Amino acid sequence: MLFHTWMFALFFLGVYPVYLAVRRTRLRAPWLLLASYVFYGAWNPLYLVLIVYATLVDYTAVRCMARTRRRFWRGLWLAVSVANSVALLSQFKYAGFVVGSLNDLLAAMGTGLSVPSPGVVWPVGFESMGNALAEHLNVYLAHLGIGYAIPRVGLLLPVGISFYTFQSMSYTIDFFRGRVEEEPNFIRFATFVSLFPQLVAGPIERARNLLPQLRTPRPIAFRDVTDGLSLFVVGLFKKVALADYLASYVDGVYGAPGRFGAPALILATLAFTWQIYFDFSGYTDMARGIGRMMGFRLMLNFNNPYLAMGLGDFWSRWHISLSTWFKDYVYIPLGGNRKGKARTYVNMFLTMVISGLWHGAAWTFVLWGVLHALGRMATRELEATSFYRDRVPRLVKQLGVFLFVAFAWIFFRAQSLDDALLIVSRIATAEWTDPALPLLAGGLVASIWAYQFVYESRVRRWLQWTPLRVALVVAMILYLAIVPGDEGQPFIYFQF
Amino acid sequence: MTTKNDRQIPPPGRDAEVAYGSNDIRLSGRQWLVVAAVAGVVLAALPTAWERIERIAPADDYRVPYPLSEDYWLFDRLCRRARRRGQVLVLGDSVVWGHYVTNDRTLPAALNARLGRQRFANLGVDGIHPAALTGLIEHYGRGADGAKVLLHANLLWMSSDRHDLRTRKAFAFNHPQLVPQFSPAIPCYRETVTNRLAIAIRRRSALHAWASHLRRAYFDGRDLPAWSLDHPYANPLGQIALVIPAGRAAAAPTDQAVAWTRRGIRPLNAPWVPLDLSFQWARFRRAVEVLRERGCELFVVVGPFNEPMLTGESLAAYRRLTGAAAAWLRARGVPCTVPRALPSEYYADASHPLADGYATLAERLLAEESFARFADVGPTEGAMP
Repeated sequence: MLFHTWMFALFFLGVYPVYLAVRRTRLRAPWLLLASYVFYGAWNPLYLVLIVYATLVDYTAVRCMARTRRRFWRGLWLAVSVANSVALLSQFKYAGFVVGSLNDLLAAMGTGLSVPSPGVVWPVGFESMGNALAEHLNVYLAHLGIGYAIPRVGLLLPVGISFYTFQSMSYTIDFFRGRVEEEPNFIRFATFVSLFPQLVAGPIERARNLLPQLRTPRPIAFRDVTDGLSLFVVGLFKKVALADYLASYVDGVYGAPGRFGAPALILATLAFTWQIYFDFSGYTDMARGIGRMMGFRLMLNFNNPYLAMGLGDFWSRWHISLSTWFKDYVYIPLGGNRKGKARTYVNMFLTMVISGLWHGAAWTFVLWGVLHALGRMATRELEATSFYRDRVPRLVKQLGVFLFVAFAWIFFRAQSLDDALLIVSRIATAEWTDPALPLLAGGLVASIWAYQFVYESRVRRWLQWTPLRVALVVAMILYLAIVPGDEGQPFIYFQF
Repeated sequence: MTTKNDRQIPPPGRDAEVAYGSNDIRLSGRQWLVVAAVAGVVLAALPTAWERIERIAPADDYRVPYPLSEDYWLFDRLCRRARRRGQVLVLGDSVVWGHYVTNDRTLPAALNARLGRQRFANLGVDGIHPAALTGLIEHYGRGADGAKVLLHANLLWMSSDRHDLRTRKAFAFNHPQLVPQFSPAIPCYRETVTNRLAIAIRRRSALHAWASHLRRAYFDGRDLPAWSLDHPYANPLGQIALVIPAGRAAAAPTDQAVAWTRRGIRPLNAPWVPLDLSFQWARFRRAVEVLRERGCELFVVVGPFNEPMLTGESLAAYRRLTGAAAAWLRARGVPCTVPRALPSEYYADASHPLADGYATLAERLLAEESFARFADVGPTEGAMP
């Protein structure tokens, strides 16, 4: 169920009034959990098996940890929980990648050996059992004249698995570290793992922020509703009017990079740079808006990242919930910056590579992570010099970071490593032909960027002028009502 | 008992303020009211204002241009225009629209030609079928309320399970946005629940119909972003010519506008779906009911069909079908006629007459007393000049 569909609108219109009615009663968590499972099951009801399983394991692990004071047993239960989460992710995301890479290596070594392909990456037996069940139920649905069929499993990665496993994992780790208290109520814990506004693409909430909000509902003021609505409309505009528009240009060029000249490849890369921002931050805005209307404060996930003046700054503005997750649960446990410069850079490197792999099981993502690690080290060194700090104009720094990030996105977006290298080489060598980027798209992006520059400047108060804000929202609503077509595109980050 | 965990727990998150966002677009309740009022007025007024600005190319025997067959907003507008002019609205599929003939050779044009005045308005839609036509009337046909309507029943749509949309095997048929999305279920229609829901909601929105009209009339049927990819430097506003052309040309290539026997089409052994089982007939009946509920004065023409094209057994079944259809209509007090089959060489295929066929059919219809009475045609009108 995508936020920008009528299906979700009806779902929310059904869920919200009941939620308002029961939010001060014991039914609050069960109602939220039911709504969240309906929301998630709308993709495929069989996915629910996985999320319930992941929830049960982590809930049980913390229950067991809470019942012992011995560090060994607590550590063992933490290990069980983390291993289970990592195994789930590995099974669904990385099995194919590991086996494929291994076979490439064996072939390159001329061994003539190969590891059997895992095929579809569902756990053994789950695929056949799930599909048999789906087919059985589909027969009944057809007989009832219901125009819906449960999709076959095994074709796609379960939506949002990377997000909810990380969210759940943070709970067990934080409990182990004593930073969060045990949640004894299973329904409430399951709601924390699956809360529908942020279930499939974040923000990846921490237990210490979200669980207290689930335990003790904060009052919903009228301002929460209007704020939530404001966030939602901005997010919807980002997704439908901007991200989907840019996607149609980017998909054309990146689908066949060999056919395009350097300007088109450069502009498509810049267009993707904005597409992924609008797509993901648009989703987050909508998620936070829905959460706010329901009385939840979900964390800020994007803070105008393309105005960053260094890569460290960029990562404190881009997908904040994930970068802080990696900081708290990977970088700092590795030693962070406490063990000297060389070790700091090794830790940084490892964290960024793992972050790349989190996004997808392919060498392009690994390379993307490596590039960011190297860029992060380079800008850290630059930032240590007084010349860079004091003499280089702010705008130059911002443009430098933006162009580096855009360059790295080539590896993120390209369909294969060969494609990515082809794009890089063609940008440098191919002829200059008409890029055919619609002026309208370019104008829209330029306007947003200009808005962001003003927002972070001394004249920000201009943007607070009420008639301007009202006019912008009216313009967005009119644009959304009239201009875009009927075909909505899924969110990019759902595939992660 | 205080545990290690309890001691280190930070204060509850309810009081911890989280940053609102990364922009200043944050409206209060009053400001949202202003937004709702301004956007609501603009969006509600736009389609009506547009109708005053945008012209329809003046043409006798106007019909919806073929590329605008899915422009349902235009259909509604043409219905209203015809009703205002006191015309009889002729509703139906490509047989009414005139798939093989130019706009001045269709059935409504032939009727007008014999009367010497624009009495009949061609509101046929090429490519439509009864299930979709019913949806078109239900959702976009309020302009026809209270008008005189000549409804054509093309029984071709009951000639096989596939035509009747009864087959379980999925296939793409025309105008899926107009058919029932949930109930009654159409077994060959496969669409996600999300999309079905979106269709069901959108077709209740005049604004959506109007926005779709803009796309079809000026942007090659595509939304503005998609269109701009092919015209990256063009000014979209310059595309809007504010004139809807007339659909003069036939939809079929001219070399197909000849008798079916010359096109190498083989005789048809249609299995025919019995009326009581037919989905398309059920939807046609629904169209009749809707039109009557809306105060329309109705006359139904059943067929004619290219009967010589049918094999013996199939022809007998067809005749039983037309008889049953006419009986159903008469039992409900709906005036109807089952015209005699036209000469076979007047057909381009099983159901589409050629220009001579339409002329003959018009002559025969006008000769019928019940039809003349329905159409307010005087005793001398319609006679051969």
